[in-house]
Amino acid sequence: MSLFKTTVLYVFTTVFCLLNITALHAQITAEIKLTTAGKPDLTGIWAGPGFAHTGGELDNPSASPYTTDNMAPFQIGGEALLTRPQTGNLRIDDPTAICLPNGLTRQIPSPYPQQWVQTDDLLVILYEYMHFFRTIPIGEPNRPHAQLSENTYMGDSIAWWEDSTLVIDTIGLKAWVLDAFHPADGSSRWHSDQAHVVERITVTDAMNANYDVTIDDPAIFTAPWHQPWQMQRKPNWKLFEFICEENNRCEGGVCAASDVQQ
Amino acid sequence: MHRLLSVWVLISIFVAPYTQAHHSFAAEYDGNQPVAVTGILSKVEWQNPHIWFYVDVTAADGKVATWGFSGGAPGMLMRRGIGKEVLILGEVLVVEGFRARDGSNNASGGKVTFADGRSVFTASAEDAVPK
Repeated sequence: MSLFKTTVLYVFTTVFCLLNITALHAQITAEIKLTTAGKPDLTGIWAGPGFAHTGGELDNPSASPYTTDNMAPFQIGGEALLTRPQTGNLRIDDPTAICLPNGLTRQIPSPYPQQWVQTDDLLVILYEYMHFFRTIPIGEPNRPHAQLSENTYMGDSIAWWEDSTLVIDTIGLKAWVLDAFHPADGSSRWHSDQAHVVERITVTDAMNANYDVTIDDPAIFTAPWHQPWQMQRKPNWKLFEFICEENNRCEGGVCAASDVQQ
Repeated sequence: MHRLLSVWVLISIFVAPYTQAHHSFAAEYDGNQPVAVTGILSKVEWQNPHIWFYVDVTAADGKVATWGFSGGAPGMLMRRGIGKEVLILGEVLVVEGFRARDGSNNASGGKVTFADGRSVFTASAEDAVPK
């Protein structure tokens, strides 16, 4: 084949591929549902960062905890505030083992679905795990939070749009477990009551969104740090009941015998 | 479909040893005390925060001991394609897991193998899983 024919074939193939990619991108973009205000509509059931995101009906709850390599350098004494050795007290070793809340930073990557309901000025997130919910007003960027009477497990969240990215800003968290990192030594990881959590959700196509979490915890770290995650729509899923107290039979490794064992 | 489910289940066994779910595995079970029993499935509690199922194990002297095994949350298992119908009362099972810290006949139930050789993963997403 002559150089000319080869060149023509190469150019034709390249243009053909580019046109196809452009058409595919346009198709995907067109499928992103928008609100009447022109913002991405996050309403729907999502497999949050706590899933593998298979793209199908079945999925695998397999989220990793926050990645140590992503964390900022410690303040002096910060590492001891982050990592607490096993004590034998479940309120410290793992509060969820006695059905206490997991708290915001652990709920975000929980391996249970979450349902988002969005209006122009409000986002409601319903979590299957322990039936937690968040009602998050959407408004002007960087506006002040309401006066807080006390810190809570889920904190005080407000949201705003930065172009097509939804920003959720949370303060007012009580010192609580950071995540579900459970090494064999039984230690746990915590954040302080100074933690400031910023979630940034950016829809990437009709089914997926980037879910970036920035944690600024000046009592533990010298700088904010960032954890990139994703979430994926599961339109045919529904939230189930989750009653933690229903059959929590082995608290702390001390098991209550079932009737068939008595 | 059944083959696809089996492959999915097997994949699940190996990809989810220590992530997160309801509780700390180390707080309740002893990773140094692996348990493997063969017996008859006598009861299933398909409830939160973890399913429990019970296996009657007959010792050489004829005495029967009932072992309890915990698994994942019902919703967690169902999103993997594992429903309650997987565990059939009266079936002979081999269950592998790790014993509860109190030394009772209770354990995490990481892996269930049926008489026909099928293996089903029932552990929580955070539990240690027998190889």
